[in-house]
Amino acid sequence: MKIYVCVKHVPDSAATITVKEKTDIEEAITFLMNPYDEHAITEAYRLKDVLPASEVIAVCVSKPDGEGTLRSALAMGADRGILVTTDRRLDPIMTARALKAAISQDGQPGLILTGKESIDGEGMQTMFRLANLLSIPAATNVISIDPQNGDVVVRCEKEGGAQEKLKLKRPCLLAAGKGLNTPRYPTFPDIVKARRKEVVQIDLKQLDLPEPDSRVDLLHLAPVIEERTPKEITGSPASIAQQIVRILKEEARVL
Amino acid sequence: MTTEYDAIIIGAGIIGTPIAYELSKKGYKTLSVDKRPDAGEGSTAGSCAIVRAHYSTEDGVAFAYEGFKYWLDWENYLDHVEDEKGLAKYMNTGSILIKSKGHKWQNVKKHYDAVGVTYEEWNNDQILEHVPVLDLHEFWPPKRPEDATFFDESDKMIEGALFCPEGGYMNDPALSAHNIMRAAEAKGATFMFNAEVVAIRSSDGKVQGITLADGSEIDAQVVVNCAGPHSYKINQMAEGVWEGCNIKTKALRHEVMYCPSPEGYDYYNDGYHQSDGDIACYYRPEVGNMFLIGSEDPECDPQEWVDPDDFYAGRGGHGRDNQLTTEQWKAQCYRLGRRIPSLQVPNQPKGVVDLYDCSDDWIPVYDKSDLGGFYMAIGTSGNQYKNAPVVGAMMAELIDVCEKGLDHDKEPHQFTMKYTGRKLDVGFYSRKREINYDSSFSVNG
Repeated sequence: MKIYVCVKHVPDSAATITVKEKTDIEEAITFLMNPYDEHAITEAYRLKDVLPASEVIAVCVSKPDGEGTLRSALAMGADRGILVTTDRRLDPIMTARALKAAISQDGQPGLILTGKESIDGEGMQTMFRLANLLSIPAATNVISIDPQNGDVVVRCEKEGGAQEKLKLKRPCLLAAGKGLNTPRYPTFPDIVKARRKEVVQIDLKQLDLPEPDSRVDLLHLAPVIEERTPKEITGSPASIAQQIVRILKEEARVL
Repeated sequence: MTTEYDAIIIGAGIIGTPIAYELSKKGYKTLSVDKRPDAGEGSTAGSCAIVRAHYSTEDGVAFAYEGFKYWLDWENYLDHVEDEKGLAKYMNTGSILIKSKGHKWQNVKKHYDAVGVTYEEWNNDQILEHVPVLDLHEFWPPKRPEDATFFDESDKMIEGALFCPEGGYMNDPALSAHNIMRAAEAKGATFMFNAEVVAIRSSDGKVQGITLADGSEIDAQVVVNCAGPHSYKINQMAEGVWEGCNIKTKALRHEVMYCPSPEGYDYYNDGYHQSDGDIACYYRPEVGNMFLIGSEDPECDPQEWVDPDDFYAGRGGHGRDNQLTTEQWKAQCYRLGRRIPSLQVPNQPKGVVDLYDCSDDWIPVYDKSDLGGFYMAIGTSGNQYKNAPVVGAMMAELIDVCEKGLDHDKEPHQFTMKYTGRKLDVGFYSRKREINYDSSFSVNG
């Protein structure tokens, strides 16, 4: 069975993002695999033990430097990679079409894994569009995967921590949440092995994709201005406590 | 506020605070000024705070070993002062120096014997008994992962190690400087923060005092430059000082990485500090069961000399500012990954980027200057944290004897170390020296 894992090449969340010409960012920063996709690739590697004779193929649509992310996916356990390269900025419709074309050209998916969202676009729609194009069911924020015969039983985390258990018929698309596993990062021997694994590069133009009638255009990016200097919270103990609760709720959003 | 002091110390990091402390103990009325908001918040905060005795010269070994006695007896050194932030703690892990082509360990062993450093000589089996996760193949010479031969297998083994049980690290370098500040204050020292020096005033070849960015002027007969990576900028402000130095200092960018310990290995509690010249890395435990991985600056790695103001403002650009780079993350973690094959390397770089105040020969300048009353403790080159309390005692003594009339340039002051009892020729650290080619020209010192 072929397990396809879609990985996205994104800016490091710890990098200082500088916006240039309204819609671009200064790219001389660290780019790496979308953190949610790390859970997807880790799970795919685990499923190889559960689903004998399966193959894990990482797929990435990006500028050519996305090969770095694909190599990370190979070091984390994917068997081979497909890189669809383009210098265009693709919206989720085109990204899903590119992924569908690359996967269909390669083989018959038994399972498709993705992250539940990308930390740069945060659109949360590419995976649903891809599932729709392939006419397969999808579940998101998946925190456990249990293949059973021709089905997969998954648990998904909902708003506020509630969970639901779903059964999907394979092939299906599952979007990984953080609760799915602890990413299995590569050791040096994994990295050495990954160097010998195959990456097929396809120019987006070769896929000859139909342009959609409508699309999403990015007009303007505004960076978060982070306040890095500490602020002192003053007042009575009750007022300090109130301010801390407000910060945890509204700014840190952890309550 | 009084605007006249006996001595002004520029910089309240790990070099400046002990000098303030020791001068105060000698009865000097000192003022320490620092542009940061608190003690130890400059490049000291980015230090790995490693305490080891292996240096390339016998005096270097003796100086570092003298420092051990201060760290091992920290509360006593601070004269039992209280610090509302708590006390920094000496983590006495012991220190392993891997015998490799990257270190002249034969010399280190000779110096250990001469100085009387407590150490053990381990073979590879003994190393593995203590650190079971290691692969002891020889990987020399250090390379970068961009070089395909980086991944070649090795059939040679390293030749054992020297183990120094008293070595280790301080768990919080910024806090250690803060502790010394509190100890200095208890002896009468004053500290001023958010205070940037913009001018050094002098007349008739004698320093008069400093001027701060807000325009205020503070006078003193003695001014000491302990400005870390900004040391050369301070020297350039003082009449004839920079020009009078044969050895100059400049700021070198340096990355240090945090990588999680392999599963099942409690590096934080069971690990050692290790200097591994074979892979050009040094590493020590860090909170969160992490490996803190530093680089010994092998020749294949680029060196970025930067303007400290641009660097700290994040203006230098890729590889020149204060953000980690993927290239160096991979270089340092993969090098350690060869030594520890079970080490998992995350995709996201994590670590610290800061600056060394580096001298031309990587040996510090602890000296007077060509301007009367102006002194410097600079060029600490990433390897003097461990020596800082000794530097404090030595600099205070040097300043005192020079102010009382000694011509240190003609008759270099001889400093007697309190614990080892050895005499040290302070002239070794002279600004007028020729470049010392016995130096390792690296963080190893």
